[in-house]
Amino acid sequence: MDIRTATQPRIATGLTAGIGLTVVLLTLRALSPEEPSENLPELVQDFFTLSISVVIESLPFVFLGVILSIGVQLFVPARVFTRLLPTHPVARRAVMSLLGVLLPVCECGNVPLARGLLVKGLSVPEAMTFLLAAPILNPVTIITTYQAFGWDHGILLGRILGGFAIANLIGWLFSMHPRQEQLLTPRFEATCHVDHDKPVEGSRFRRGVLAFAEETSTMLPALIVGSAVAGAIQVGVSRDLLATLGGHPVLSVLALMALAFIIAICSNVDAFFILSFGSTFLPGSIVAFLVFGAMVDVKMLALLRTTFTASTLLRVTLTVGLCCLVLGLGVNLLA
Amino acid sequence: MLLSLIGIIATLWLTVTGQLGLYIHPRYFVFTAVMAVLAAVFTVAAFAIVPSADAELDDTEHDHAHDDHAHEPDHQPEEPGGKPPSGTAALVGSVLVIVLTAGALLALPPATLTTSTVEKRDLNASVAGPTAESIDLTGGDYSSFTVKDWAALIRQGASDDYFAGTPVTLTGFVTPDPDDAENVFYVARFVVTCCAVDAQPVGVAVYAPGWQDRFPVDSWVTVTGEFDANPSLASLQTTAITPVTIEETTQPNQPYVY
Repeated sequence: MDIRTATQPRIATGLTAGIGLTVVLLTLRALSPEEPSENLPELVQDFFTLSISVVIESLPFVFLGVILSIGVQLFVPARVFTRLLPTHPVARRAVMSLLGVLLPVCECGNVPLARGLLVKGLSVPEAMTFLLAAPILNPVTIITTYQAFGWDHGILLGRILGGFAIANLIGWLFSMHPRQEQLLTPRFEATCHVDHDKPVEGSRFRRGVLAFAEETSTMLPALIVGSAVAGAIQVGVSRDLLATLGGHPVLSVLALMALAFIIAICSNVDAFFILSFGSTFLPGSIVAFLVFGAMVDVKMLALLRTTFTASTLLRVTLTVGLCCLVLGLGVNLLA
Repeated sequence: MLLSLIGIIATLWLTVTGQLGLYIHPRYFVFTAVMAVLAAVFTVAAFAIVPSADAELDDTEHDHAHDDHAHEPDHQPEEPGGKPPSGTAALVGSVLVIVLTAGALLALPPATLTTSTVEKRDLNASVAGPTAESIDLTGGDYSSFTVKDWAALIRQGASDDYFAGTPVTLTGFVTPDPDDAENVFYVARFVVTCCAVDAQPVGVAVYAPGWQDRFPVDSWVTVTGEFDANPSLASLQTTAITPVTIEETTQPNQPYVY
């Protein structure tokens, strides 16, 4: 009774604060000039345009991922995973890497979802395998890649098989790590324990809303910092350099991997983007672009940093990079 | 939460004013708007519930609340009514991120990319478009051709005779030809596959000596004229428009081509 009477005015206060902030922000937007300012240097202007475009493009996917993740946490009982997944770790990870077929989310949406799975008790290597494989092994990505390249030069096959192999390899490597909990940031590790030991009380709606507030507060700063870094690199680095390396079997692979890393484009559409470079680059480098970019890029690293430690991410990036290089060279040799 | 609110308001504002196209491909418009509305519902609910939930946790199980909100010290925004992250550095960091985000997303007027980005990315480095074989210029209907279509055709290296005398009207922004900036400019557009980050500049050369006195770089023009062999010796473009008229125009609602 005490709590309830105390709660009502707090809800009102919270709502009022929210509405007040909304009005302030809307006013700010409405009062800001319509025409682009002449004072800003072009470089700065483009930096903002590029960074904002990454944010606007990724934001809906992050929201979708957060909502799906909450759905999994609230409505899927933990025993579903234990019953449906095979017991053998290798088979489990293989199944996890195919989970993207059911959840065709862009890679930025996968991060909150993977966090939800970790909270549900899945192991770090399993979540990692899902994170790396899902952006590639999902119907939307496969269809767009097919539309862009068909069966030409083994690009589609290279992407699917390469993505599957690399994701499972990384999962296997991390399963060897003796202290799994050290792979996660201390803060996220604590969240996992809290949820296991003492489930948050209240109705599902209430818990869902609280989880939404919690997740978005974690993901959005990461997304914004990642987008700003991506935008800054874009205005700072000239693409001519990358394009001139197109014909070399080794350098072209490295060049497109670097491009994939800095451009931070969603895996659902990256095939169309790189298609326009198709004439300039060798097929192996395109496969490397399509696999590496889907797994690791500046924006993804910022998002993943919310969950995994920096050294874990460094190892993931290096291993994935090395694998993609080998994959790209292999396709170049075969094609 | 504040960041969500900023992001949602910025997205919905762009949607309502039809400026979403400055940043992303039209195929995402509906998805983006729907997710923004959905997220808005959650955010409003969160504003109502989070303060009271925090207060309850404070009252009943203090330790638990502390665990739950043990914020990682970087870039953690302060939740309304929530516990501030530990340390002033973290607080300053979050405030900075919020202020900069609000500034970039809300206070800055939406804008297109400029010539500065054209310089960073090879103009016409990569264009997928109609092929010369598929189009019969002599009889075909090319009035709907965009800058992108023409740039793709020209890039395929069809001979000057192929284009010669073809009348053309194109709208785009002005960007100088780096090899012969005095006499030649490009009427250019950005091609967007997903969002502005992947924008690729495409352009068709226009031979107009002294153009810089009449049109500033990045201004929008409509060029009417005919294709011809490019009289400029320095320019690498073999085909250029010999303009009959060049008129200043305003930036179209859809500045990019897809």
